[in-house]
Amino acid sequence: MIEVLIVDDHSIFRSGLRSDLDASLSVVAEAASVDEAVELIAQHRPRVVLLDVHLPGGAGGGGAEVIRRSSALLGEVTFLALSVSDSAEDVVGVIRAGARGYITKGSSGAEVSRAVAAVAGGDAVFSPRLAGFVLDAFGAVAGEQAETSDELDRLSAREREVMRLIARGYSYREVATELFISVKTVESHVSAVLRKLQLSSRHELTAWALERKLL
Amino acid sequence: MRPRHVVVGGVSEALAVHLGWSTRVVRLVIIALAVAGGGGVLLYLWLWAFVPLEEQGADAVAPDPSMVDAAAVRRRAPVAALLVAVAAVSAAIAFGSLATAEGTASLALLGVTAAGGLAVAWSLYFDRHDPGRSPRYGTGIRIAAGALLFVAGAVALASRPSAVNAVIGVGLVVLAVAVVVAPRVVTLWTELMRERSARVREEQRAEIAAHLHDSVLQTLALIQNRAGASSEVARIARAQERELRDWLFAADEPVAADLATELRRVAASIELDFAARIDVVSAGVPDGLASAGTASAPLLAAAREAMLNAARHAGGDVSVYIESLPASTDVFVRDRGPGVDLRALPADRLGIRESIVGRMMRAGGTATVRPGAGGVGTEVHLRLEVDRD
Repeated sequence: MIEVLIVDDHSIFRSGLRSDLDASLSVVAEAASVDEAVELIAQHRPRVVLLDVHLPGGAGGGGAEVIRRSSALLGEVTFLALSVSDSAEDVVGVIRAGARGYITKGSSGAEVSRAVAAVAGGDAVFSPRLAGFVLDAFGAVAGEQAETSDELDRLSAREREVMRLIARGYSYREVATELFISVKTVESHVSAVLRKLQLSSRHELTAWALERKLL
Repeated sequence: MRPRHVVVGGVSEALAVHLGWSTRVVRLVIIALAVAGGGGVLLYLWLWAFVPLEEQGADAVAPDPSMVDAAAVRRRAPVAALLVAVAAVSAAIAFGSLATAEGTASLALLGVTAAGGLAVAWSLYFDRHDPGRSPRYGTGIRIAAGALLFVAGAVALASRPSAVNAVIGVGLVVLAVAVVVAPRVVTLWTELMRERSARVREEQRAEIAAHLHDSVLQTLALIQNRAGASSEVARIARAQERELRDWLFAADEPVAADLATELRRVAASIELDFAARIDVVSAGVPDGLASAGTASAPLLAAAREAMLNAARHAGGDVSVYIESLPASTDVFVRDRGPGVDLRALPADRLGIRESIVGRMMRAGGTATVRPGAGGVGTEVHLRLEVDRD
């Protein structure tokens, strides 16, 4: 049984999601604002927090602020961002704050449940759009990344392959078949990319984020 | 309706059209009324103020492409120059009669003030927006009027400082200074106003965007979520969401018509017709082949055909990935349908063979159609390299 906390300021959306979630998930609480979310997360310590990117309250930082204020619990609590769109503006802020992945609000209950199970198991949830963004942000398409020596600022050849396949709409399983590696290996590549996305100080990434006031 | 190409204000012409008289008759009547007690002048001004301008478009088809500003009113009569001339004549009368008839002189000085001031006002408010009048003409008018006012004021002060003359003289000098400063002030003012209204618009837009983002987009997402990915309702909600999003955030994104933007548009229109959800992802340099309109036309057409096939025969989730490098562009279209076997296709099925593979080969590129990973669905890979010559 995976304990889940839903954070979204729309009660209709919360109740809709709650009723759609898989039986293997139990919703322990719901929060509607940044402050409420921080409080309830500290109190319940759920395994996974389904976190809306745009939230009222707090200092106006939305979902990313919730993660930052709960950072002491990051080992124990995992954040899966819920966003109304999968545009990079919406997503990268929460990912860099520490979310393990994101899913769009248009996804079905089954898809959300699968994503929750994945992040609860320690994996990252990457969408094709985010993979495309990563390829761009790390300059992996144009092949200009050889200049950087910092391991955090570049993708390995294998990670690049994995990202390209995900961008093409492949599931982890399909990526594994395609590259003749195990699903577990694909997952570890994706997690590595996620870590780089969170920690990299590649200037394109920071400049991009600054421009959109995400830092 | 007052026309846009006029002598002074377009009032006579408008009146002539309205009454069915000839323009000349109307003009004569107005002038006669003006001479007989000044009623004509009042009538003219009153009509000028209240008769609306003709709608643009009727004669906005400017034959000369250099006339960018079709909306501007063009005036044939050099009213500002005439006013300066009146002011000059009045000044001459004033100087001539200063010593003899003081009443006439004061009256003439008033005439200088009025005519000079009007000339400057005219040049600032009308001639500046008239494409037929050069900025140099305006500057000339203002310098002439200013000089006239200043000289008249100085002479009035210097000659015989009666109370009336002194007041008029000081007024004239002040006005002369104002004339010199006026254009700058007017420019600053209009700019300030424009900036302020732009900012207000921007703020309003941001506010509307934030509100819609929090309410309508959420609801549309919820609808898609509840209705199932490829149902009719979800597709409509998705199309609506995309439209709204484009409108809300249009200002943030460059309008460059690159391949990814084009394919997104194609995807949107296909989604409306078929039960499919098409995700378009792009990566790479935006200014590679993808932005070259003509070179990528076959690629775009082939990709469109592939997306259409995927939506028609497979449906469900379709992924499109565009990768543009400076030297080449790759497009992947993958679906999760029953898959196609190229050899098993009848020869008359032109879709894949002709519209995709043939088209790409003629353009000097390649197209590969193969089963998707794990044997699920189909993946079409289009590749076009940029000619480096």
